[in-house]
Amino acid sequence: MECRVLSIQSHVVRGYVGNKSATFPLQVLGFEVDSINSVQFSNHTGYAHWKGQVLTAEELNVLYEGIKLNQVNHYDYILTGYSRDTSFLEMVVDIIQELKKANSSLVYVCDPVMGDHGVMYVPENLLPVYKDKVVPLADILTPNQFEAELLTGKKINTEEDAVEVMDLLHKMGPETVVLTSTVLPSKHGDQFLVALGSQKIVKSDGTTISQKICMDIPKVDAVFVGTGDLFAAMLLAWTHQHPKDLKTACEKTVSVMHHVIKRTITHAKELAGPGKRPSPAQLELRMVQSKADIENPALVVEAKVLKKSSDKTL
Amino acid sequence: MECRVLSIQSHVVRGYVGNKSASFPLQVLGFEVDSINSVQFSNHTGYSHWKGQVLTADELHVLYEGIKLNNVHHYDYVLTGYTRDTSFLEMVVDIVQELKAANPNLVYVCDPVLGDHGSMYVPQNLYPVYKNKVVPVADIITPNQFEAELLTGKNISTEKDAVEVMDLLHAMGPDTVVITSSDLPSRLGDRFLVSLGSQRHVRPDGSRTTQRVRIEVPKVDAVFVGTGDLFAAMLLAWTHHYPNDLKTACEKTFSVMHHVIQRTISYAHELAGPGRRPSPPQLELRMVQSKADIEDPAIVTEATVIS
Repeated sequence: MECRVLSIQSHVVRGYVGNKSATFPLQVLGFEVDSINSVQFSNHTGYAHWKGQVLTAEELNVLYEGIKLNQVNHYDYILTGYSRDTSFLEMVVDIIQELKKANSSLVYVCDPVMGDHGVMYVPENLLPVYKDKVVPLADILTPNQFEAELLTGKKINTEEDAVEVMDLLHKMGPETVVLTSTVLPSKHGDQFLVALGSQKIVKSDGTTISQKICMDIPKVDAVFVGTGDLFAAMLLAWTHQHPKDLKTACEKTVSVMHHVIKRTITHAKELAGPGKRPSPAQLELRMVQSKADIENPALVVEAKVLKKSSDKTL
Repeated sequence: MECRVLSIQSHVVRGYVGNKSASFPLQVLGFEVDSINSVQFSNHTGYSHWKGQVLTADELHVLYEGIKLNNVHHYDYVLTGYTRDTSFLEMVVDIVQELKAANPNLVYVCDPVLGDHGSMYVPQNLYPVYKNKVVPVADIITPNQFEAELLTGKNISTEKDAVEVMDLLHAMGPDTVVITSSDLPSRLGDRFLVSLGSQRHVRPDGSRTTQRVRIEVPKVDAVFVGTGDLFAAMLLAWTHHYPNDLKTACEKTFSVMHHVIQRTISYAHELAGPGRRPSPPQLELRMVQSKADIEDPAIVTEATVIS
């Protein structure tokens, strides 16, 4: 497989977020990963302390120029995640537009990181940049419920709302949308959260169909960091293997997440000791230990294909 | 295996040198790799063009401070390679000394990158820093012949010279020395180069012993970049698994190198086409494609134990 990804994300010296979270799993699956580190921090910002340096939009452009001067600016995928800076994000958009010109089949996988649980945790002025410039270029989008609502201006209270929001997001650009988590009630009870996905496929006869799925995912009683980055990277990998089968791509992606998270929480609890909540350092993803699960994830979730919105779901 | 490495090396957006060359193979072998990127360049400096930014000694210190403030500055290994800056190198030494104070069992694997084939390709003022400060805190070093001669002030014309130079290097600090390549004639002819290794042990009874090995390595007609970084990383890994058996550690390390290089040169020739010399981008190591060889290298070289 000759597949080259350009990933523009954070680097942390210790732990697994941003490029640290995305690179190893993609390399393990055989992808060539070129990585531009948007920051270099000692560790993620959930620790008691963190220190480091950020890359400016200008410095990002300089790195890209180097790649371009050598005529190696040819990528099959671009992957981006957490950003705090509008000028940086706008430079990312410029780069993607150029790379799409160089390769019109390029797939841009975008995690539109803005916030969660009703609260923005990036500067507010990023929203218009995502809405007007980034999302229109994206081919695969992995918003959570809050981000999907922000981007479309529509609230999600029911599964029908979620389907409408995903269709609104398709109209903005991306053919594949995964709502990575919602607060919709799961049929399996309150130990589960609901995720949904939608993919537009153009058939050989030119007509468009959409496959919509939903999944019930076991909740875990801990705060993980870097899981969204791992999710987007693995969705890239599994949609690459299953480009017209979002059901299978999502089952594999969510299954990998499950194995990594389970291994992580078990190890974290061991380290913390009985009755103690694990610390951020102890909760770092057990990434290298999960290599076998990354390579070949045993499926632990079955996605349900939703009936079209003209039919009622059972 | 719970083993944490701090690797302080370059990062390139594209290709495999420095941390890009060292991290994936170590992670594939189950090591936790914390990496401080000393620079971020678009690609290595053997391409027609390269662009990027460097980390200052102060910025390195700030990153280390972050790790320390969180009380997670506990490492089993430190790994360093190519550096161009004396103040950066001196900050690295300070960090290594602190980390050794935090964990006296820490093993510092140092590639003392100074030059090759008779000429220095780093600023000359790095040489005294390596000699007086870096090598004395190193536990494993991987100089080439030129670097070994520079550090000891002794030329290598025979295997006996090489053994003496390795003993001089032991006396400076490291218990394990591998001269990664030399001009010494190989028993297998001129398509091979000679590498040598030496490891000092203290027996349970307190007496000291030294194991010395010679490896004949097939030459490849191409210039690779990042192979030294891969070598140091894999020597770290295989001496970790074979701490008292330099012969086996070297056989595994040199074998991995062989598989990666063979795969790389085959692919590079395919890309370049018949009769053409492959370009630097085409010669980038086929790292992710070599995962299986990294995990479990078929042994293709035999190290000879020498007295």
